[in-house]
Amino acid sequence: MGGTGRDGASRDAERLQARADEMELIREAQTGSRVAFDTLVRQYEHQVLRLALHLTGSEHEAEDIYQEAFLKAFRYIGNFRFECSFYTWIYRIVTNLCLDQLRRKKTRREDHAVYVDHSGDEIDLLASVSDNRSFSNPAKELDRKVLGEKIQAALVKLTPRERMVFELKHYQGLRLRTIGEMLHTTEETAKNTLFRATKKLRLQLADLR
Amino acid sequence: MESLWDFFEAGRTYIVNCELAHERIVTAAYGELPDDQVHELERHLGDCADCRKEREQLLAMKVLADAVPVAEPGPNLVARSRLRLDEALDALPPRRWYELLAQRLMNNVASLQAAPVAAGLLLVAGIGAGSLGGFEFSQNRAAHAASISTAAAPPAITPAGTQAQPVAEPTISNVASVSSIVRQPGSQMVQVNYNQLVPEHMQGTMDNPVIRQLLMLASENSTSAGVRDDSVGLLAAECRAGHGCQAAGIRDALMVALRYDKNTGVRQKALEGLEPYVAEDVRVRNAVLEALLNDNDPRIRTQSINILEPVEADTSVRQVLYSVSTSDENPQIRNVSRQVLSRVPEIQ
Repeated sequence: MGGTGRDGASRDAERLQARADEMELIREAQTGSRVAFDTLVRQYEHQVLRLALHLTGSEHEAEDIYQEAFLKAFRYIGNFRFECSFYTWIYRIVTNLCLDQLRRKKTRREDHAVYVDHSGDEIDLLASVSDNRSFSNPAKELDRKVLGEKIQAALVKLTPRERMVFELKHYQGLRLRTIGEMLHTTEETAKNTLFRATKKLRLQLADLR
Repeated sequence: MESLWDFFEAGRTYIVNCELAHERIVTAAYGELPDDQVHELERHLGDCADCRKEREQLLAMKVLADAVPVAEPGPNLVARSRLRLDEALDALPPRRWYELLAQRLMNNVASLQAAPVAAGLLLVAGIGAGSLGGFEFSQNRAAHAASISTAAAPPAITPAGTQAQPVAEPTISNVASVSSIVRQPGSQMVQVNYNQLVPEHMQGTMDNPVIRQLLMLASENSTSAGVRDDSVGLLAAECRAGHGCQAAGIRDALMVALRYDKNTGVRQKALEGLEPYVAEDVRVRNAVLEALLNDNDPRIRTQSINILEPVEADTSVRQVLYSVSTSDENPQIRNVSRQVLSRVPEIQ
């Protein structure tokens, strides 16, 4: 028990120290330090790219979102008042950009059932899922590909907001309270949006079960 | 149930519970339902087959949704994104001092808005400091005006035969320039009017534009090879890291160092700093080619050949390599040049 208490206290201390270090970095970046800003970018770039890539399915679009998000962050970091965590703040910027992208795609009725890399080649996401058998089963591979396409098609039918909440909850594993902060809404609203999204997806995917 | 009313009451409660249960099933499936509500939900699911089916369908949907995995961004995507961001940030105009000041003021105002008592105290302190400062300023201005009128008077020559006021002799290394020399005919006295250097220092990070300017100055003007070596080393490191190494600026300073610095170590560092730009900047490529042809140190010439590898199919590069392969005094360099030429048979 004592050991657990000490571990918990030291973890809290580490978290506080990390938070203090980040605040220092942010303050330096606010005075114009490029080195400090670059360090902040390094801390969050993987999460930003992962989210943008999974939502858009395109490396080009993920790069564009990354670029716009961090340029905006650089431009407006002076307005950051430490009222929320920097993580929430940067994700707010990214989710807004992703929402804009989803709305544009909805207007243009673009679907993506596959993931497009930088050179424009289509990559089957499911092919990157490892098969731990020693030989591959083409029929199963085809089934998985078709399944993936159907799921992508179902996700596309959600509204941009529903898609975003589902993405942040199901795929990125964020808490509903955090999702609410990122989308400038309440935890309750995020919960209701998740409920609607899952209901729609269940109906869309009913014939696959 | 004792009456029809009880029956309807029970039915109504049952329907509300199921609607609520459906929402709680989703929340619970994602680990967000409080423990006491989990217990209530489990009790309800024990009695309600419809809701149990609802939960099975939701869990199945979750499994199906996981068939679209979240791909980790590959290292190439991360690197490309970073590079593009760095270029965009480098292209942004630097913020002016008044913009930084305005930002700082706004941040302070925002902090004060959250602390009204502190704001009030600061206001009182500010008024007091302002009054005192105004008084001091007017005093200093009067004193400064008096000293300017004295300094503006042309330097007077002390009359012949009179004893001149003793002046501390300057340290020659601190003399910036001599502005005039005055000699009185028939006198041994010579008056030399000179301007003096005032040593100063400044601290800052490499992204401070003034620090960069000073380092670029140091790379050209310093009489000390050690100072030039340090400054070129720092500038080259910035270029290798891709931090603000614009064509006009640091890159130019490195090319000058590569072409003209007498110290081999300085030229080597300059070459290392220019390496990332040899493919995209023709001026850098030409500077490296000149080094390959003219530098008297074989290490510099060998390094130049290695740096030119990404553009070895370029016509001008091949011409220089051909010349070096036949005429360089160093046999190893002649050999390396021939090897490079043989690797790329056709001119692109």
